[in-house]
Amino acid sequence: MEQFDVAIIGGGSAGLSALKKLSDLNKSAILIEAGNSIGTKNVSGGILYSKKDPQGRIYNVEDVFGSDFTSNAPVERLIKKYLLHATSMNKIFTIDMTPLHDYKTNFAYSVLLNRLTPWFAELASESAEKHGGGIITGVHVSDIQWVDNKTIVRTNELEDFAVRSIIAADGINSEIAQITSARGKFTPEEVYFGVKVIIKLPEKIIEERFHLDSTEGSAHLFAGDITLNHVGGGFLYTNRDTLSLGAVYHYNSLLSNPVAPSQLIDELIKNPLISEYIKDEVTLRNGNEGLSKEDQLKVHLGVSKLIKTYNELRDKYFSKDNMKLIESGKFGNLEEVKSKIDSIKHDLNEKFGVQFVSNYVELEFSAKLIPDGKRCMMKKPHFKNILFIGDAAGRGIFIGPKIEGLNVGIDDAVRAAIAISRSIDSNNFDSNYLGNYYESLVNESPYTREMSMIDENYLNLFLELVKDIPMGTIDHRLSFGLQVIKNKHLRGISLRLANYLGYNRILPLIESEKTYVQIPMLLANKLGDIVNSTFVPSIPTLPDRIANLQYNDDSESHIIVNDKKSEFMKKLILLCPTKCYSLEGNDVVLQHEGCVECGTCSVGTVWKHPKGEKGIRYRYG
Amino acid sequence: MLHVAVIIKLEPDFSEGNVSYNSDGTLNRAETKNILGPHSAVACNAAFYCKVRYGAQVSVGTMGPPIAESALKQAQILSDAEELNLYSDRMFAGADTLATAEVLKNGIEKMFGGNKIDIVFSGHRASDGETGQTGPQTAWKLGYTFLGNVIDFEIDLERKVVFAKRVISLQGMDTIIEEIESPLPVFITIDPSYRSIFNTVSQRLAANNFRKEASKRIEDTGQYLKILDGKKLELDPKLVGLPGSPTIVYRVEKIPRAKTNRKAEIVDPSNVNNLAPVIEKLIQISRGK
Repeated sequence: MEQFDVAIIGGGSAGLSALKKLSDLNKSAILIEAGNSIGTKNVSGGILYSKKDPQGRIYNVEDVFGSDFTSNAPVERLIKKYLLHATSMNKIFTIDMTPLHDYKTNFAYSVLLNRLTPWFAELASESAEKHGGGIITGVHVSDIQWVDNKTIVRTNELEDFAVRSIIAADGINSEIAQITSARGKFTPEEVYFGVKVIIKLPEKIIEERFHLDSTEGSAHLFAGDITLNHVGGGFLYTNRDTLSLGAVYHYNSLLSNPVAPSQLIDELIKNPLISEYIKDEVTLRNGNEGLSKEDQLKVHLGVSKLIKTYNELRDKYFSKDNMKLIESGKFGNLEEVKSKIDSIKHDLNEKFGVQFVSNYVELEFSAKLIPDGKRCMMKKPHFKNILFIGDAAGRGIFIGPKIEGLNVGIDDAVRAAIAISRSIDSNNFDSNYLGNYYESLVNESPYTREMSMIDENYLNLFLELVKDIPMGTIDHRLSFGLQVIKNKHLRGISLRLANYLGYNRILPLIESEKTYVQIPMLLANKLGDIVNSTFVPSIPTLPDRIANLQYNDDSESHIIVNDKKSEFMKKLILLCPTKCYSLEGNDVVLQHEGCVECGTCSVGTVWKHPKGEKGIRYRYG
Repeated sequence: MLHVAVIIKLEPDFSEGNVSYNSDGTLNRAETKNILGPHSAVACNAAFYCKVRYGAQVSVGTMGPPIAESALKQAQILSDAEELNLYSDRMFAGADTLATAEVLKNGIEKMFGGNKIDIVFSGHRASDGETGQTGPQTAWKLGYTFLGNVIDFEIDLERKVVFAKRVISLQGMDTIIEEIESPLPVFITIDPSYRSIFNTVSQRLAANNFRKEASKRIEDTGQYLKILDGKKLELDPKLVGLPGSPTIVYRVEKIPRAKTNRKAEIVDPSNVNNLAPVIEKLIQISRGK
């Protein structure tokens, strides 16, 4: 049987960081990823932070992947503005939260994981190969066993192999955690549910619309009526030539008031501010009814080709690389490109009756569960010789407008790599030696503190930002609360009391419909500006969204429903983002083919990841 | 060290949108895109398997015009070949399979500085020729044991033998899988159903490394490419090209066009409602109606 020092299970940003760090520490490690290639199973909201903290060391992405990360990595845009929009119908009240975003931040980029993680993988595998390690894709780990002092890894695709230690980086629905019983499944109380669409928008239009330069980006959060009375909110991040539009809600809140995730997205799109943000000029074809069916098809195919040419040329024209069109020799200058675009547009319109209307273009629909670290981080993120990192360890920061996960996973990864490197050097993989040391390193992380305690400075900054909001406009009890906290002395006492009580006690107060829905609506109604949409977006149906996804279907389902009659599973009929569940008689039945592997149903099912290379293949993530 | 050769062919790309026909229905070769033949690609995969499993060195050879270099490049991506050989000379023009085999035989004998090749792989057949004779004839000329329709193989390096499974389909009978043990050297034509499987961590890692090496190698194909003419291959002009081809093409039959006795109805896919009758018909067919 082959034997290796370390197996990292899961090729997301945390797993890849662990591989890179271990290799840089001259240790040999292999990374096993179930997707057919790196990035196809990863989804994030998508902002990647680099942070600093005077009270403790943080291991950032640039510490792992090099100081030239910002210039070399395929990141989207450097987030310079962070705005919170309170919504009520067509009234919007905006608070600039940029100082909160900048708090302890070196930099933050919007990212699309299927663009970024392959780059991580390239660097990590280059380092790993120097020490006999590397990345293996298309392999699903199905079991781990300890036999005769050996840790045996079992997969669906390869012969068994032995390892001395494991880093579990297999995400929030960690099978390694279930196989080993290192932790139970996260409950709806402990997690948030996220749903997102990627929207196409040419580069220069994004810059003009959001008032950005060619590298800058902005982040927009939404709370109020767009939540459909749920705890959480919406987000819109500008990428290079796309937008990430999503909604993140406390899973419990969705269970008590079930709404289809697709509808949560639709509600965002219908908001006039958002619809104006995502607006683009798109083509609308006519049916050519007067022609014979055969001629209709010929025209259809011909027009498809012309529209494709039009869109490709238009996208290039509106990109920062538009001078490449001139360099290619096809055009003398940008004016000529513009004339060509106008000429195709004219032909499409005059000859084929194609209209150009205001609408928007969706590229990808995705969903995932997000760990709320303050509720679910593993107190002991290790089991025997296995170390859990990132989402697998339930570690993510979720505090009001502060949502961070990727950076937390990277910090964990480095700490796990350091702990394992030490074990290799001393040839000691005992749980007390390896696991406890890793636990102590994780406890030293400023992120762990953030998930355990309220940060007074962060709160001060928040109060500074909202101090100009006329208190009379909002709920009198909250006004009173804000008045109390505004007093420096009283604030100190309140914070000590809150931290003494712990997050569990105070969370129902700070994470409630009042804070996420009612107060934002009140603010919008009383202080907001009216925003009107200039068009009605034509929103794709869920079947259209699913049809646009790429899958490698497995004939065998990776999910087995525990109790087909349970109330929880009945709610999944609505809550499963791709409607995999339906009711037949009194039984909830599953059709797994459209599953996006978010794990929303995990609590009521035997839930495994699909076998290697099977299942969803995200193109953006 | 195991030395492996692959003989490949540049063939027309018959995939939709790439093939072009003359008005008389014959293939317009000038307008049709050329690619590494799909059967040749499978042979390259078999050579790559030898590289990963047995540390083989791979040499690829093809007879053809200078544009066949593109097929060699594609073969290098698949096999991570150390050597690429293009056998190109006007004197090879008009060659049938036997004359081609003569060129390939001499080419294979000159691979790796004349080192004896242990295994030669070729595709099952060419997609534009379909005769499937070049492989066996080259094997015969080389004096190698010939194994056709091979779907799986393993090599015992110490004993210098190959264990191969070949599929034999006999008309009116069940398909037979024949297991053969043969001493090296052998000439293998690989069946299209062959799939190289790497089922240990080490094999997967090695395969990744060789793939990376291949992608670096194709950035400078010239470093690996040898162009050999008849003289360099020390060929007898009587045995190659038209003079070396005993095949007489008596007549070329045009490919008969499919009779249009089937009734086809064109459905516009942009309107989902149009698909309902299609599904109805499929259901009827599946029920045998």
